[in-house]
Amino acid sequence: MKRVFQHPPETPNVNGRKYWRSLGELNDTPEFRGWLEREFPAGAAEMEGDGLSRRNFLQLMGASLALAGFGLSGCRRPETYLVPYTKAVEWTIPGKNVLYATSMPRRRGAMPLVATTTEGRPIKLEGNSLHPLSNGATDPYAQCALLDLYDPDRARFFLEGGKPVDVAKFTAFMKGTRESLLASGGQGAAILVEETFSPTRDRLRAELSQEFPNLLWCVYDPLRPFNDVEATRAAFGDGVRLTHRFDRADVILSLDADFLNLDEGGIEATRDFSNRRRVASAEDSMNRLYVVENRYTITGGKADHRLRLPASQVGAFAVALGRKVAGLLGGAGAPLGNLLGAFPAEMAGRFAKQDQWLTEVAADLLAARGKGLVLAGERQPAGVHLLVQAINGVLGNVGHTVVAHASESRGGAEPTSISGLAEAIDARKVQTLFILGGNPVYNALANLNWVERQKSVPTVVRLGYYDDETSEHAAWHVPMAHFLEQWGDTRSADGTYCVIQPMILPLFGGLSDLQVLNLLLGQDPHDDPTLVRATFEEIGGKTANFPADKALAWNAFLRDGFLPGSAAPDSESGFNVGAAIGYLKANIPAQFPPPTPEGSVEVVLISDYKVDDGRYANNGWLQEMPHPITKMAWDNAILVNAATARKFGLHYANFENGDYSADGAASDNMAEITVGGTKVRAAVLLSPGHADNSVSIALGYGRRRTGRVGRHTGFDAYPLRTAQNTYFVPAARIAPVAENYQLVVTQQHQAMEGRNLVRELPVATYKENAGFIYGEDEQAKRSFVEMMGMDAHIPPNVSLYRNPSYDSIHQWGMAIDLNTCTGCNACVVACQAENNIPVVGKDQVGRGRAMQWIRIDRYYSTIEDNDPLHDPTQDEDPQILTQPVTCHHCENAPCETVCPVNATIHTEEGLNAMAYNRCIGTRYCSNNCPYKVRRFNFFNYNDRSIEPIEEGVMSHVWKGKSQAYLGPFGKNGMEESLKLVKNPNVTVRMRGVMEKCTFCVQRIEEAKITQLQVARDSNNKLVPRDSFTTACAQVCPAGAIVFGNVADPESKVSVVKRRDTDYKMLEYLNVRPRLSYQARLRNPNPAMPGAAAVGNTLLGAPANVPPAVEKEGGSEKKTHSEDPRKEAPEGQHKV
Amino acid sequence: MANIFPRWTNTLAPKAIFLGGLVVTTLTLGVWYYFTPKYTRVGYMPTQPVPFQHSLHVQQLGLDCRYCHSFVEVSAHSNVPTTQTCMNCHTAIKAQSPKLQPVRDSYASGKPVEWVRIHRVPDYAYFNHSAHVNRGVSCVSCHGQINEMEVVWQDQPQGMAWCLNCHRNSEQFLRPVTEVTHLDWKPADLGTNPATGHPWTQLEIGSKLKAAWNVAPPVTCAGCHR
Repeated sequence: MKRVFQHPPETPNVNGRKYWRSLGELNDTPEFRGWLEREFPAGAAEMEGDGLSRRNFLQLMGASLALAGFGLSGCRRPETYLVPYTKAVEWTIPGKNVLYATSMPRRRGAMPLVATTTEGRPIKLEGNSLHPLSNGATDPYAQCALLDLYDPDRARFFLEGGKPVDVAKFTAFMKGTRESLLASGGQGAAILVEETFSPTRDRLRAELSQEFPNLLWCVYDPLRPFNDVEATRAAFGDGVRLTHRFDRADVILSLDADFLNLDEGGIEATRDFSNRRRVASAEDSMNRLYVVENRYTITGGKADHRLRLPASQVGAFAVALGRKVAGLLGGAGAPLGNLLGAFPAEMAGRFAKQDQWLTEVAADLLAARGKGLVLAGERQPAGVHLLVQAINGVLGNVGHTVVAHASESRGGAEPTSISGLAEAIDARKVQTLFILGGNPVYNALANLNWVERQKSVPTVVRLGYYDDETSEHAAWHVPMAHFLEQWGDTRSADGTYCVIQPMILPLFGGLSDLQVLNLLLGQDPHDDPTLVRATFEEIGGKTANFPADKALAWNAFLRDGFLPGSAAPDSESGFNVGAAIGYLKANIPAQFPPPTPEGSVEVVLISDYKVDDGRYANNGWLQEMPHPITKMAWDNAILVNAATARKFGLHYANFENGDYSADGAASDNMAEITVGGTKVRAAVLLSPGHADNSVSIALGYGRRRTGRVGRHTGFDAYPLRTAQNTYFVPAARIAPVAENYQLVVTQQHQAMEGRNLVRELPVATYKENAGFIYGEDEQAKRSFVEMMGMDAHIPPNVSLYRNPSYDSIHQWGMAIDLNTCTGCNACVVACQAENNIPVVGKDQVGRGRAMQWIRIDRYYSTIEDNDPLHDPTQDEDPQILTQPVTCHHCENAPCETVCPVNATIHTEEGLNAMAYNRCIGTRYCSNNCPYKVRRFNFFNYNDRSIEPIEEGVMSHVWKGKSQAYLGPFGKNGMEESLKLVKNPNVTVRMRGVMEKCTFCVQRIEEAKITQLQVARDSNNKLVPRDSFTTACAQVCPAGAIVFGNVADPESKVSVVKRRDTDYKMLEYLNVRPRLSYQARLRNPNPAMPGAAAVGNTLLGAPANVPPAVEKEGGSEKKTHSEDPRKEAPEGQHKV
Repeated sequence: MANIFPRWTNTLAPKAIFLGGLVVTTLTLGVWYYFTPKYTRVGYMPTQPVPFQHSLHVQQLGLDCRYCHSFVEVSAHSNVPTTQTCMNCHTAIKAQSPKLQPVRDSYASGKPVEWVRIHRVPDYAYFNHSAHVNRGVSCVSCHGQINEMEVVWQDQPQGMAWCLNCHRNSEQFLRPVTEVTHLDWKPADLGTNPATGHPWTQLEIGSKLKAAWNVAPPVTCAGCHR
């Protein structure tokens, strides 16, 4: 008699919450079932095009093989050569990596880095853990900087009028310019730069302004933090910078501040926030986060309470909050009360519906006086920042969670803004304009009409990383050196002085901004550290304990990457109410707009998690990284919620009862936004949790002139951005357009049936149950988190296979803490950089062939309709959970038993290893993987380029599909420069090979071999505890991923795995994963509306539902997969 | 009716089948052997740009392997010496020898000498010298008696089966770490094994070291394939 194992049934009622990753999943559409039941999405295994079936293809291949002949000429090895250095290079050992400290200049302060170089080329960047602001972590932008460095589409030539010229000609031109400018004292010259916080550049600027007193110095960056600076200046005076100490904050209220966005808050915000979020035992306290925002951000995803509000109303909300706080404080709140007197009374009245929300938040903040923190979003107007600073002031948070620092003196006059520069151009005061970095033609404020202004300047000299929109209208284009190719310096957000060291000579002969300025000063364009060293000695001389031996200090500076003791000191300044009121009175109407009128919609211009302001548009790793919230790759879109979309008649991709299709393409999903005379067309994507009457669109896409990767991706939203509306347009019109645009959304790829894969609970419930163990039998003992949901009903496991004995001294395992994971994607890209994972292009992603080894599942969760806690008003307020999923390295790996060629096998150390050269591509393994973490090389992604589809051969086949893999019609061979980015310790895989996470086996082997070198003739083979880690764990700013030796009970990973919240995904399958998760905890305020539903999951009480056991006889019921190992003991097994 | 086929044709079919089988088997075995590392690699002895003699430098002059292959104990690669290393001696010794002209040219021009590569592990296998020489695997185990070679040839097939042979039976190859670069070393050089009263044999010393150092070479894929 055949016995068929049935998976335990889904028990939705046990768990009061429903978790869904897309609306298709929520509505259980047929298309979603299709994704669910296949290892790869439908169509992923088919050939492209209509006329080319798999069978046709094989016929063609057979014929061509026969025609090509069967020669034996390839059997002999070609002669190859060993090429040693002629003279040994300092520090270089062939085959060993050398690490150097350097930093990446960023708009909010440098990111300290350690670059791994192998034989002279950088192959990986990590955080510099010595630096006070770093915990050795980085973010996606820092990880992707490497791909930028080796980008074959970089500007390669010095261009004069668009024609390549010699470097000497440019130097001669600069010399001539200098001569003519000297005569006029710099009259008619202007320099436009991006902020890099480089003290050397400041020094050069001072020298320049001595020689050319009339020189105009301008700074522009579209996303430059400006409003908080302006507010701080108004209230605290000049030279003060506020920093936020999340490590000291118990209660945090974010007013549209995405501080967990690693670009906005920096590594340190996520690090400190997560440290206060982590709950290792029942004694640990946990911070509480309130978020008010218009669209889901990763900060909103971590919120305990989240309020959807149009971005334009956040300011008014701050006023209402201020009134509550002032009211509760009484006399102590007088300064805030005075400030609020400047606002019209009507403003606070807009939030009658949210009154309880406001009252309870204010009460909670008050209770946490000195340990609370209120934040305003970076692009909220300065007035909102002022208010928030005042609220923090009266709550006694200033000096504790908000710290005022003296910002270092930069010297020179305040730089001119781009608007000021535009006025100077209009007044014909600028004849020579140097644009060093940036891309104003693409991203300047639309009201400036920058193209025409730039064209009206007689001579424009452009130093640019790409030959882009701005270079198109410049007389001179100079290729810019990457920060890994130049000497430089910068400051991190705390003011610490950091070095930028070159890792490689400029690949395409570019110059740095320092070199161009030096040319203007009549000096040689040094590529040596002379300039930086002079600055270093000047700054170092001012720090305490600076050694007398300057050479020694310089070496230490290069070794550590920063100068200790150079951070900015604390400031004595306090909040000046009078000045703040003065500022507010002048600015309230402009900065606190009325609610969006009926029939209009608010448009929010958000900065993107992927391409930044557009500068990373040509970076394939970033383009292909799914957006942390929407899970969309390669594009931006108008984000809108269902109610607003219905109201304006928008057809949106990715939705609703029949209007949904698996590849994200819906009919006529385009829409047009109209503001005044400006129109922007873009595709619409439904985004649950978005505020009503508000739409968001990310800046940085729709580049007109960029490399092959960035062309034809997304839509340009900069035309909507003006000096009045830098962040949100309070009133705009939106209408559907009868056009179709394909978006690729990965949220359903590798979907799994909802079997309590992700677990969450309120922290109070956790504390009640911590330490409680179900089951008496030693084997069956499980914690309450392990018993959540249907896991409570699962019979003990029986394995048909003999388990290997894992008795080697190293047993590798991983733990991922869902409570601290923000879903920032840093691990996804770090893995891509470390493991030579190819970029497959938008078209292939749409077919479900993305290759990233880690995916971050983003779940929305709502309360079931039949649950007593269900509140219909909360249906538009789903909560978010993120869960990184990678290979679980199962001890009883199902993939291994089905491989016909033993290409995937287990190692003695518990790794599920892949031997690529043995794989024949049957894909049985991925078919049998319960976690859907295996990736298949459907094509030779490393050998053929992906291309934006333009006019030309075969363009009709790929019409409308940008960034497609063209197969034999694409260019053959990897670009030379892209070969340099590959990690030499990881095999580059070819077509037809399965791959997946290896737990960074190259790092494991390197650590073991290093220990063997130490051991020599002893048996001391044990790798020192936690002495290395995987790329994903190393990059994680939240410290959510921990990797190590689980055979060592004191290793970090073993300690984490002993937590009460530890659980294994799909434990009932008895595959014994080496990867476990720690459940997500939420910390709701019991007094808040809807608090009972936050993170609330009824614990799976074993008595509720009868246990699901094997069924007798063949069943008609369709199962996800059949696992014979779940059957009764061996003898009874018959097939 | 006369027989159409003569009598001898009765045995023709079996004979033809046998012969055909023989031809096919021989061909298969031939092609098989043709593709094995034993045929394709062992004995490969290309002409080098400089007729460097290992036998002269090691046997007569007594140079240690690690004078030139200086990073073999710390790196995956056993580095080929830089031109500078050659010139350390050859600025004074045989400074005018025409055979050394390419070395002097390289030193003057900065262009490296291009030595023809002999031992080559495929790209997907990650061999690490330091993991072996630090743990008692001698150079001779993989490279043969290089100390006696005038021109270097490949001595061992260096295929996967050959690798696994040692990884599974490491006691047959281990020697004291101090003797790794002594290519002429014999177990008997250690003297008498107190346990047996006879000179040490490879199996005795190998087993002893394997146990003492806890040598357990990887025999699963991830040991070498990443």
